[in-house]
Amino acid sequence: MRPARLLPATLLIVPLLATPLLAEATLADSPARVTTDTAQYCDHLAARLSSQPAAARASVQSLAAEGIRLCDTGHTRTGIAKLRRALRTVQGPGEPTAP
Amino acid sequence: MTGPGSEPPLIGLLRSASGRFALLFTALFAAAATAAAVVLWWNTAGTLDRQVDAAIRADGVALMERQRNAGTPAVITAIEDRLALDVQNESLYLLIDAQRRILAGNLESWPAEANADLPWIRMPLLRDGMMSEARLLRIDLPGNARLLVGRDVAEKLRLRALLSEGIAWAASSSAAIALLGAWMLRRALEHRLRPVYGTAEAISAGDLTRRVPLSDRKDEFDRLGLTMNAMLDRIAQLMEGVRGVSDAIAHDLRTPIARARAKLEEALDSAQDEESLRAAVEQGIADLDNIARIFQAVLRIAEVEAGSRRAAFAPLDLAPALRDAAELYEASAEVAGQALLTEVPENLAMVGDRDLLLQAVANLLDNALKFTPAGGCVRLSAAAGGGFITITVADDGPGLAPADRERVGERFFRADAARSTPGSGLGLSLVRAVAVLHGGEASIGDAQPGREPPGLAVTLRLPAV
Repeated sequence: MRPARLLPATLLIVPLLATPLLAEATLADSPARVTTDTAQYCDHLAARLSSQPAAARASVQSLAAEGIRLCDTGHTRTGIAKLRRALRTVQGPGEPTAP
Repeated sequence: MTGPGSEPPLIGLLRSASGRFALLFTALFAAAATAAAVVLWWNTAGTLDRQVDAAIRADGVALMERQRNAGTPAVITAIEDRLALDVQNESLYLLIDAQRRILAGNLESWPAEANADLPWIRMPLLRDGMMSEARLLRIDLPGNARLLVGRDVAEKLRLRALLSEGIAWAASSSAAIALLGAWMLRRALEHRLRPVYGTAEAISAGDLTRRVPLSDRKDEFDRLGLTMNAMLDRIAQLMEGVRGVSDAIAHDLRTPIARARAKLEEALDSAQDEESLRAAVEQGIADLDNIARIFQAVLRIAEVEAGSRRAAFAPLDLAPALRDAAELYEASAEVAGQALLTEVPENLAMVGDRDLLLQAVANLLDNALKFTPAGGCVRLSAAAGGGFITITVADDGPGLAPADRERVGERFFRADAARSTPGSGLGLSLVRAVAVLHGGEASIGDAQPGREPPGLAVTLRLPAV
């Protein structure tokens, strides 16, 4: 990496390494809302799964069907968890995952 | 006035030394428990927090790298992939552009708190109608885009609450155990000190024969009891001495006072003329002077034994003092047909009270001349060696029986053979007291063992400089 590109990267990374306890904003009063616990996100995950080539596998289909059924019956978060597990199975190890 | 029995328990506890020891014990125990809780907290809840922060930081750095290498669309894809595969349902992202439009992520809007100067944010989170807590890191990207990376820490908070509850229970138990221990400690201390209180109360009530009972443990309390008992023995011994002196004064002074009174009374009744009356009064005055001298000697011995004369100690050469004393008594020895031989070195350096030492030697010489028959010899000798000065006064008198030698230091003691000789029985008491005051000793022996009479030799052994 050239020094000219290294410097901005360093300037960006250094604040990230600052001690969190010493650089923390106070707890806010108004909560942040999460948008991935909804039925729409359930549909989004189902559509994303169906576009995967390995989605036809029986184990994946079973997980996906169970996830969709849970979402339809109002158990959205559990259904989303099933669909995410199915997606992880399809993509397998080595694919990008959340830490 | 409030008596000790009616005080509030806490005040009573603070007034008592054992109570304060017990409270100190409790405080130390509490400090140790707090230190243990802090270490436990640091190694559990603290570790969880640090792990979450490390994961967020690593995720943020990875997304920054991606943005730098492949641009913003790649970051959007990465965020969507991460959210799609987040089985634990903990990840939080929000990416906005320079116009504050949401490009990717699962937060409904950019929180106002994320605009603060500090990059780390902790804020409440509402998901699926339930309150939780989010830990977020703000990252400013090139092109005025901004990114929030975070985690839902509800699980960690639950673990922390469980840990807090556990620590609270442990602290409560520890406090209860500490208080119980403090109470037991106080009871044990009071139990061990009760015999001491009892003995002190009995002594103050007049029972001087009471002593502190000792256990077999030989601990601090037994040492305290031993010391108290030794002190009480010493006090009893001193009181016995005082009583003995009082008895002796009453006994030994009664006779001369009665004799003086009888002489004066007889002179008053039978004096034929003024001359004989005057002679009787003069004799009475002489008797009273003698009694006054005895009193003075008793007081002086008491003063020496109390140690108050030690303040007058100074470096001195004892040799001239000894020669002066010998010279003083040489004339009276010559009149009585006795010889006084002196053998004193040139110098005898020591630290002490010159007047008292001179008085002690004078007493010895006076005593020796009194018991030496005409034609006899009294020897005053002195020598220095081994860190001590030794002064010996030896005479040709009848000597002392071994049984009497032990009692010579007692006030008013007079051997049977000396009853007919003038004296008060205080001379050698003063000699012994002066020797002890100077850190030395006085010993009595035969002047010439085996000879009859053996004579008496009194030796003073005093520390030299």
